[in-house]
Amino acid sequence: MLAFVGLAALLASLVGAGWLAVVGAKAAVASKRGEAATFDLRTPTLMIVGGAVASMAVLEAALIFDDFSLAYVGTNHARATPFPFNIATAWSALEGSIVLWGLVLATFTWLVWRDHERRRDTLSAGALAVMGLVGIFFFGLMLTVANPFEVCIEAVADRCLASSPWPWSPIQAPADGPGPNPLLQNHILMAVHPPLLYIGYVGLTTPFAYAISALALTLPGPEWLRRTRRWTLVAWSFLTLGILFGGWWAYEVLSWGGYWAWDPVENASLMPWLVATAFIHSSLVQQRRGMLQAWNFVLVISAFALTILGTFLTRSGTITSVHSFTQSAIGPVLLGFLVLVLAGSFALFATRSHLVASAPRLDSFWSREGSFLANNLILTVFALVVLVGTIYPLVLEAFTGTQVGVGKPFYNRLTVPLSFALLLTMGLGSVTPWRHASGPLVWSRIRGPLQAGLAAGLVTAVVGTRIGWVVVAVVASVFVIGVIVRHLFELASRRSRATRRGLFAEVLHVLRGDQGYWAGQVSHVGVALVALGLAFTANLSVHETFDLAPGETFDFAGYEMTYRAPFQRTEPSRTVVGANIEVRSDGQLVGELQPRANHFGSDPTGIPSPAVLSGWGGDVYLMLINIDNTGIRLEANTSPFIWVLWLGGLVVAAGGFWATQVRRAERKAEALEAANA
Amino acid sequence: MTHRRFVLIGAVGVVALVVVLMVNSLSSGVTYYLYPSEAVAQREQFADGTRFRLAGTVMEGSIVESGSATSFVVSDGAAEIPVDLMGRVPPLFADGVPVLVEGTWDGERFTADEAVIRHDENYSIPEEGGAFES
Repeated sequence: MLAFVGLAALLASLVGAGWLAVVGAKAAVASKRGEAATFDLRTPTLMIVGGAVASMAVLEAALIFDDFSLAYVGTNHARATPFPFNIATAWSALEGSIVLWGLVLATFTWLVWRDHERRRDTLSAGALAVMGLVGIFFFGLMLTVANPFEVCIEAVADRCLASSPWPWSPIQAPADGPGPNPLLQNHILMAVHPPLLYIGYVGLTTPFAYAISALALTLPGPEWLRRTRRWTLVAWSFLTLGILFGGWWAYEVLSWGGYWAWDPVENASLMPWLVATAFIHSSLVQQRRGMLQAWNFVLVISAFALTILGTFLTRSGTITSVHSFTQSAIGPVLLGFLVLVLAGSFALFATRSHLVASAPRLDSFWSREGSFLANNLILTVFALVVLVGTIYPLVLEAFTGTQVGVGKPFYNRLTVPLSFALLLTMGLGSVTPWRHASGPLVWSRIRGPLQAGLAAGLVTAVVGTRIGWVVVAVVASVFVIGVIVRHLFELASRRSRATRRGLFAEVLHVLRGDQGYWAGQVSHVGVALVALGLAFTANLSVHETFDLAPGETFDFAGYEMTYRAPFQRTEPSRTVVGANIEVRSDGQLVGELQPRANHFGSDPTGIPSPAVLSGWGGDVYLMLINIDNTGIRLEANTSPFIWVLWLGGLVVAAGGFWATQVRRAERKAEALEAANA
Repeated sequence: MTHRRFVLIGAVGVVALVVVLMVNSLSSGVTYYLYPSEAVAQREQFADGTRFRLAGTVMEGSIVESGSATSFVVSDGAAEIPVDLMGRVPPLFADGVPVLVEGTWDGERFTADEAVIRHDENYSIPEEGGAFES
């Protein structure tokens, strides 16, 4: 029954999307010609939204009420799965995750429709048409190769074995299912990570839609940028959080003590983020100075294409082996869509960009514009490096059959220098004036922070560590944060002297006066903190292995730890075996850690779960190597100052979210102008 | 005008430098991935000291610990290669576990400095009689 409702909902969305594409295009053309015709864009939009919401509701209902007649439930869900992970099962596997994609896409389509309702212009009508076209693809995907509402036609007691897309087929439902991947049930971050990431990915569809609309309908100027600025910032901020939580989860749950492995799936999320960051910066240049218009088109098309590429890499099975990618039809379909998007968009760009993009001269490279150019260059090259590293093994295997891995050395050799160049550009660029910078002025703004950075580096080298990268990271981070803080106080104290009000009040005044700029500076502080956290954890971690009998004590990272006893517990789908470790500092009991191993059925491969003790100096991270009657082998690691990394990531996202609030200030200013006119 | 050309040349220069570094890194930083039967068949192409990754299962009863190294045999059902692991033993390393080691040939044996357990993406109870998937 549910399958019927779900499929009907998807069909409604598909029809709505097709209708929207057609009527949106008609409305845009009519509006461009100045005709006064009105078109019904509301009904198709509501069909898309209604269908998407209903399909998600059906999927969640099936999961919550244990309806195993749906094949998706029979392969991914178990009665024993606790809340909230039963809800999160909706996006733990491919078909369900596309339903989530559809829901987010429908939401953004609705928001674009609201923009059209308010402005009734060509640009937004065209954007709606493009959103409709994208919707046709994704809802079409769900009704064909990635059907979440297939019914189970052959089952054993604990899983569905075969399914059919026809909802009227005779159903054989299992009594229970295998449940989601247990690693996805350990940690709340994993339930939250996909929706955050998807809002980021799908959010980039909106600026893309406006850009294509501007190109196709030859609407010149930065209007499409201005209109989509807030959406791009929202998408970017969520993408930042999604990437941050993915890394945080990997660290807490997977037992290798790391948070980033240059894994193709991780890279798939990083690439759009890099390009979107470049886009946010270069769109500022276009809005302020009218430059880089053509380049902005390239960036937004690339960002959207990279989200499709990302989905393709993550979901098509290409990563396991290029040759397994054709086992399900989703791979070729996604690849085909990607090619279509790239070919169509760049064809449009090649033929129309000269009509919509003019390029005023760059006065001088030594200016804010110049620093944004440098920023764009570095970020684009960075994205290119990640792209090459990710795609190379696939291309090589497709053409020669050889399997290779591109590992950390490749990425680190290139991305570390690029990152430092980026930090430097960030620090300098924020205080470089527009148009033409005077050397003495910029020097006066950076001299103090530079001295502070070098001093901090010196202190680090003397008191802490001599490792080059750590010292350089300290210098760079202190420099960047110093420049920002110094600039804020210089502006505030200047005002304070003039108005005779308190410094703190003037700081708030300065912040409110240019929120967009200061929100960006907040994100820059976050980036500096991330760089610091990365440098510390990558270079200063300590590893030690201990062989312990029950009752033995050992010292590690300033703590006294005692292996008390092993434990074992049986859960519905697995057996958990682990060690109870007591942690003491100066005799006081600080905590109890339980590094453990999970065993499923008769599979000899256990999956380890680490135990993490967090503190201001960093984390202590314990992993079980071996456990038997006589004792355990434990691997202990430190992650020095890793909280700086997590905090930095949150601050980056916070800056992005703050920047979305600027609109209200602008609107207030507009309203004031209108009132005074 | 000259200013603009300078900026353009600078940008192209940076991109060119990065491309050169990338190509260089790819040719030296890429690691081949072989099963034991492939490694044995391609023995000549991988001289002693050339790094590659070996993927297979740890043979039952083959794990021997000595002071500096852990020795075991990696098999893919068709060929077997004795391995000496000098680095950290991965968590839950045991008989029958699918493993990925990185290192070089050393005569008849394989000297590895890195090892990880290969998990397939499913983490669910494997079906009876199912072999591990490549």
